[in-house]
Amino acid sequence: MSVEFFVCIATLFFLAGIGAPIAYAILIASLGYLAIAGQGIGIAGKVLMDGLYQSFILLAVPLFIVAANIMNAGTISDRLLGFCVALVGRFRGGLGHVNVVASLIFSGMSGSAVADAAGIGKIIIEMMTKSGHYTRGYSAAITAASATIGPIIPPSIPMVLYALVSNTSIGYLFLGGIVPGLLMGLVLMGMNTFLSHRRGFALEDPVPLSALPGRTVNAFPALLMPAILLYGIYGGVTTPTEAAAVAAFYALLLASLFYRALSFRALYSILVESARSSAAVGLVIGGALILNYVVASENIPSLLAARLVGLEIDPLLFLLGINILLLLLGCVLDATTIILVIIPLFLPTCRELGIDLVHFGVVAVVNCMIGLITPPYGILLFVLNAVTRIPLSEIIREIWPFLAALLVALLGLVVWSDLVLWLPRLFGYAG
Amino acid sequence: MTKLLSALGHFARAIAAAMMALMFLTFVLQIAVRYSARLEWVPEQFPFLEPSLYGWTLEFCLLLWVWLIFWGNAFIVRDQDHVTFDILFLAVRPAVRRWFIIVSGLAITVGLALSIEPTWSKFYILRLKKTATLSSVFGDWIRMRDIYAVYILFLVAVSLRYAWAVYRAARHGVEAPTPKSVGDAQK
Amino acid sequence: EDKIKLRMSTPASETDQRSVALAEVFAPAVADFATYEPHYNGSLIAQSSELEAIASGDLEMSIASAQELAQFFPEFSIFATGYVHQDAAHQVAVFNDPLMAPFKQKAEDELGVKLLAVMYLGRRHVNLRQTKDELTVMTPSDLAGVNLRMPGTDAWQFLGKALGANPTPMSFTEVYTALQTGSVDGQDNPLPTVVDAKFYEVTKQIALTSHLVDLNYVAFSKAVWDELSPEQQATVQAAAEAAAESGRVKQLEKEADLVSFLKEQGLEVYEPDLKAFRDHVQAQYAGSDLAASWPDGVLDKINALGN
Ligand code: NA
Ligand code: NA
Repeated sequence: MSVEFFVCIATLFFLAGIGAPIAYAILIASLGYLAIAGQGIGIAGKVLMDGLYQSFILLAVPLFIVAANIMNAGTISDRLLGFCVALVGRFRGGLGHVNVVASLIFSGMSGSAVADAAGIGKIIIEMMTKSGHYTRGYSAAITAASATIGPIIPPSIPMVLYALVSNTSIGYLFLGGIVPGLLMGLVLMGMNTFLSHRRGFALEDPVPLSALPGRTVNAFPALLMPAILLYGIYGGVTTPTEAAAVAAFYALLLASLFYRALSFRALYSILVESARSSAAVGLVIGGALILNYVVASENIPSLLAARLVGLEIDPLLFLLGINILLLLLGCVLDATTIILVIIPLFLPTCRELGIDLVHFGVVAVVNCMIGLITPPYGILLFVLNAVTRIPLSEIIREIWPFLAALLVALLGLVVWSDLVLWLPRLFGYAG
Repeated sequence: MTKLLSALGHFARAIAAAMMALMFLTFVLQIAVRYSARLEWVPEQFPFLEPSLYGWTLEFCLLLWVWLIFWGNAFIVRDQDHVTFDILFLAVRPAVRRWFIIVSGLAITVGLALSIEPTWSKFYILRLKKTATLSSVFGDWIRMRDIYAVYILFLVAVSLRYAWAVYRAARHGVEAPTPKSVGDAQK
Repeated sequence: EDKIKLRMSTPASETDQRSVALAEVFAPAVADFATYEPHYNGSLIAQSSELEAIASGDLEMSIASAQELAQFFPEFSIFATGYVHQDAAHQVAVFNDPLMAPFKQKAEDELGVKLLAVMYLGRRHVNLRQTKDELTVMTPSDLAGVNLRMPGTDAWQFLGKALGANPTPMSFTEVYTALQTGSVDGQDNPLPTVVDAKFYEVTKQIALTSHLVDLNYVAFSKAVWDELSPEQQATVQAAAEAAAESGRVKQLEKEADLVSFLKEQGLEVYEPDLKAFRDHVQAQYAGSDLAASWPDGVLDKINALGN
């Protein structure tokens, strides 16, 4: 690693630290890197444009933002969540549980944690803060934590990326994610229960069980949406990315024609507002692409691989070590970078030590998703900051207990490979 | 002057909203065409729904996405919309915050402005590169440089915006940071 | 040590035949005066931006497709046209023939890219979700109404339509799920890709249409080349050819082995009426816009080099 690399990292932390937008801090730091390395600073823009112009899967992000804004303005999300509230809202910390359960439902519709957080996450945060029982930091923290489940339960964009680099079956990886996804939901609800009792969060107004049928009917057209999306994806009408457009389209139909809660003027503001959020998030993704280029041009991946050759260690110890390393990297790197650039370095060693690659893949993806909420570089924290304007400091202050809960789940997945492999084996996986 | 700026602001927002709506509609069109192609009578009855006429939809959405990002950050994204690490920024005294704005603003202005010429010369070779599918939408003249040009617009606009912010901070000091609150997005 | 650094960027993985051939054959052959530094999975330069990166001095090598070159010089589309190349040996004959000289010259002069050797990627076949009982593909008319995923450029879409199918563009990463769920009926790729991307898990048959004998070029920076001594140039040239040859032999072996592997996986693998496909596809290209960009007489010369 070179002097210019350290200058780059130092500049990045300095500029971001004094409040420059993260995307511009990355851009300026990378320009500095390129200038010192003698590469010509024009390449930053080229790399960024090339990367964005390729990112088909990221198109889901603006579309899910539009969908969420429409659902929000058109009372759809209120009705949908009203149903979840009637279902699990009666317990202490009820809206926190609603948050996790809704994330579990929505993770079946989208392959990207960022889209989950920007979409349904934004709506629930608003409900939680409006109720007056939760601080906005707590609301955003539990939302960020439960959004990490999105790409663990299929469909999943990160698992597709892992399957490509590791040559493992996408079908079995998807199956392998289901139990871990549910486990993550469980530990988060556990932590929410614990914190709610300890801090004495007020109970939500209890919804009598007799109101459940009414709420269900009221929310039915909205509840149909996950079903339509699931049918769209698994019934072969749309790709996971296109499902985002279907979500927005269906929400638009419901809000304007069925619930009659959306004017043309409101629609225009939704479009402008969605454009703003998408542009801000898109620029951070662009920044991550330039940072990837810097890391790749330092040739860090192969330097690391060279160090690992010929080590003789216990497989479990190796897995634990890798997971700690990935968690540390997750603090400063983007999940896509880690999966495409770092993970492939360890695959040969895994094969040699007899570690199952589906198990390793699911664990690694869970780890990378946890990395999305570890400060200072946690893209879910940034996205929630961008779409809700809740200060990062407040979100980060509340994120730790949920982070700890997810780490416990991760440890369980590392140690008991059956948690991951049971379902794939049931469907004929030989590993 | 203020009137002109406000009219330009309206125009910039309208363009962004139009790009967003167009991206959404293009996706819907793409799905509709693929799905209707399974019913053999559809392309027969409506030749304009022939799927091979719609190979451009995917790349067109990417074009809109990229333009939305850079047009948006150049003209409609406000300071408080940005993803920032504001722990320190919110904690310091206004006098220090003023210096934060001046230093980071200068770094952004100078860095982006210096990169305009080198970036444009990197894009030079793209005057030869055709798009994968967009000729059928825009005509045969379109090249990748035309698409990437929005990034140059972004560099110019953002370096000017930060130069203005630095000037204001140096001349008039800083206001209290814009309150960030939930639900702002719906205003 | 002031060895020349040769950065190579490719969207292919480290275990891809082409990556292996360059790392194991090319790299040691030039090790005396150059350090070969590969970047896989598009981690340095985004897919299909490598050529202009070489042009602007930000990259020294890549594995370039004819389709990518055609984005700059439309005449290269002839090498990405259905039923033009007949097999791996034919590709080499075409590449080394004088007919190729103006193509190579243009890439050198206008892009600063030297094409050193031709790599064999494999024969692309039609791979479908339907069982052979549900849909037997013997002629192009059998593909009517079939949603076939093809890469998202005009040239690929043209080929899909020429095959008789409904070509659908879709990014490669979404193809597996799309096949699993049926948002597309099929895709076209060489057999090694069908296996590497696990498409065999979600499809039932492969019609061996061989509609495109696909290739890549070893692309090398002209600026770096001009810095080399004549001996070093000869070494680089020989190393690229040796790597291409080694990759070709292995890829051909792999293709041959994979037919039986895919049959073991329960897929039906069979050959359709190739003449019907060839005639239909060639008729579609004749007089098309794509064909208008081909220099006069080149197609005849290519055909003459075949069987
Ligand atoms: Na998911
Ligand atoms: Na992180």
